[in-house]
Amino acid sequence: MFARKITNVFVRNSFIGQSTKLYRNISITTVKHDIVKIQSTDDFKEKVINSKVPVVVDFFATWCNPCRLLTPRLESIISENKGKVVLAKVDIDEQTDLALDYEVSSVPVLIAMKDGKVQHRLVGLQDTDKLRKWIEQFTNEESKAKVKA
Amino acid sequence: MSERNRNIDSDEEENYINWKIKKLKKQVRRSRRERKARQSCSAAPPADATDADKIKTVHKDTVDETEIENALVVTCSRMWILTMAPIDGTFDYDLAVIGGGSGGLACAKEAVNHGAKVAVLDYVTPSPLGTKWGLGGTCVNVGCIPKKLMHQAALLGESIHEAVSYGWEVPSPKDIKINWSSLTEAVQNHIKSVNWVTRVDLRDKKIEYINGLGEFKDAHTIVATMKNGSKKELTAKNVVIAVGGRPHYPDIPGAMEYCISSDDIFSLAYPPGKTLVVGAGYIGLECAGFLNSLGYSATVLVRSVPLRGFDQQMAHLVTAEMEERGVRFHHKCVPLSVEKLESGQLKARWQNTDTGEQCEDVFDTVLMATGRYALTKALNLPAAGVTVVNENGKISAPSEQTNVGHIFAVGDVLEGRPELTPVAIHAGRLLARRLFAAGVQHMDYDNIATTVFTPLEYGCVGLSEETAIARLGEDAVEVYHAYYKPTEFFIPQRNIRNCYLKAVAERASPQRVLGLHFVGPVAGEVIQGFAVAIKCGLTMEQLMNTVGIHPTVAEEFTRLNITKRSGKDPNPASCCS
Repeated sequence: MFARKITNVFVRNSFIGQSTKLYRNISITTVKHDIVKIQSTDDFKEKVINSKVPVVVDFFATWCNPCRLLTPRLESIISENKGKVVLAKVDIDEQTDLALDYEVSSVPVLIAMKDGKVQHRLVGLQDTDKLRKWIEQFTNEESKAKVKA
Repeated sequence: MSERNRNIDSDEEENYINWKIKKLKKQVRRSRRERKARQSCSAAPPADATDADKIKTVHKDTVDETEIENALVVTCSRMWILTMAPIDGTFDYDLAVIGGGSGGLACAKEAVNHGAKVAVLDYVTPSPLGTKWGLGGTCVNVGCIPKKLMHQAALLGESIHEAVSYGWEVPSPKDIKINWSSLTEAVQNHIKSVNWVTRVDLRDKKIEYINGLGEFKDAHTIVATMKNGSKKELTAKNVVIAVGGRPHYPDIPGAMEYCISSDDIFSLAYPPGKTLVVGAGYIGLECAGFLNSLGYSATVLVRSVPLRGFDQQMAHLVTAEMEERGVRFHHKCVPLSVEKLESGQLKARWQNTDTGEQCEDVFDTVLMATGRYALTKALNLPAAGVTVVNENGKISAPSEQTNVGHIFAVGDVLEGRPELTPVAIHAGRLLARRLFAAGVQHMDYDNIATTVFTPLEYGCVGLSEETAIARLGEDAVEVYHAYYKPTEFFIPQRNIRNCYLKAVAERASPQRVLGLHFVGPVAGEVIQGFAVAIKCGLTMEQLMNTVGIHPTVAEEFTRLNITKRSGKDPNPASCCS
């Protein structure tokens, strides 16, 4: 009975990238572990909500094929950014309440967070270029905000 | 209502009932007005509408009477409950559903659609082997869904070999084998995705999901024991029991310790190897069927007859096909013991109930498929005043209502109802409509189609030949039958001996069809549409006047013309044999 809805789980529809202005990033923040796996709601609070650097939260499921494809792409881009942005991985089956709180229905869902606030949301499998642009834009907005401040 | 206590005197009771009836009558009048208003908006031609309205109004009046009567029964039973529990007239929920399976979830969702506040309790006690699973009940986790997927895996394996006959160049077809862990991983991943979708669906519909084992404290109060042992209490105006069932283990040495059941097979951490299946109901035959096709030797112990309750001629075709494919059957045999050998293998002993002869053999896996029991024991039903529980734990509740007016049951817990997911879903939905949308329609448990997913599938709807004869007498029943050859079977020279179908009909004109039976490929797809036809009162004449789709296997129903009574050969013409 539920099977007919399964196709909806893997949303391939993607975020439409807007024109991005490139800013030179002058970041002095260094993070030892820029990819973390969230273990609990408290862990999420500590590593995501209270994070000083912007965080990309990857809501994923072990059973989701698009998630598996997304993971290596995402991780390589995060390591390109050398600590400017942290990747927090949330297994929706282990941290169901967190996923439901952030209104995750189809996976994968990427949420860009800064100061505990959701800035952007990206649903579905993305190609590497789009992903890189999205993360760049997000981190650039961040540095832009810093410049303004 | 809050000041009502244990010592309600009869005057007060009468007053309350009168007040309730008045209120109900008002409600009924209002809903009738609303329905009329709705009808007037419809685009029916006015001339017809008046007649139709007249009929509907007359019909509705009778319905309303029974509605009031029912409501009165409910009210009376509530009165009794009012004296039992400290109720102040307000509850945490309009509906609490115990059991998050097909029936419970369908009921909960429908209730929410009609504005009710609903909580669903779901909890899976691990199997003796330790297998547990997520939200969604038997069908999704350890029933229809994984079963169909494993059956599909089995069919695909056969197709690889058939492909060679069709010209596909398959490198060393003999070496083709299943990777059990890949199969179970794929199946379990699909199940987990369904669990998730179900969870999200509950959130979207704002249904409170409680992952706890529910039991009654009193007729309106349910206590949920959570995984960490903590308890949660909630009250509900209505309660639906939809806890379903679990596999039964025979009371023999070694059963609980060493045997598995359908709860475990679909996520078994190791390949099952040589398997003994105890029981020849549909679960046993389906498991033995796909295991054999996947390359694991399968032996079946049959206590009485295979597929008891199904048409026996068809059941024998199903088992004949399985035997021809290599499944071993031991008829009239009951298990005696299962012991673990030093090698880790299992030695099973069984006895022939006719001859008394005892046999034994060594297996890697012993799977118990000896029926299922309803999970009502853990519910503490006496605390709720529910007494309609049979010896086997099933709830006897025609029209889904128990002896306690606001406590209902749907799905596999119901006595004498087919244990099928779509039955539970439909009954659950209709119940929610009756509870929260002034619905009057009751579940029709007759003519429900089903399919057994054995290697050669068996689909049926309506009465078996035996039942039809028992009900109408042999002289009043006509059976049309035929063996047939599926077109795609010719090239790979697949066995066609068991491809057979029959229609059981009344003998007297217009020969209303009572049952349709089909053994062959995609039986479920074949029989579903015909189930609609039977619901519409299909006759043999209509069936014979239907033009078939060629070449399909379903068209064979439209070609039926030989009666059993005629004694004519039901075999198709052949070019060579």
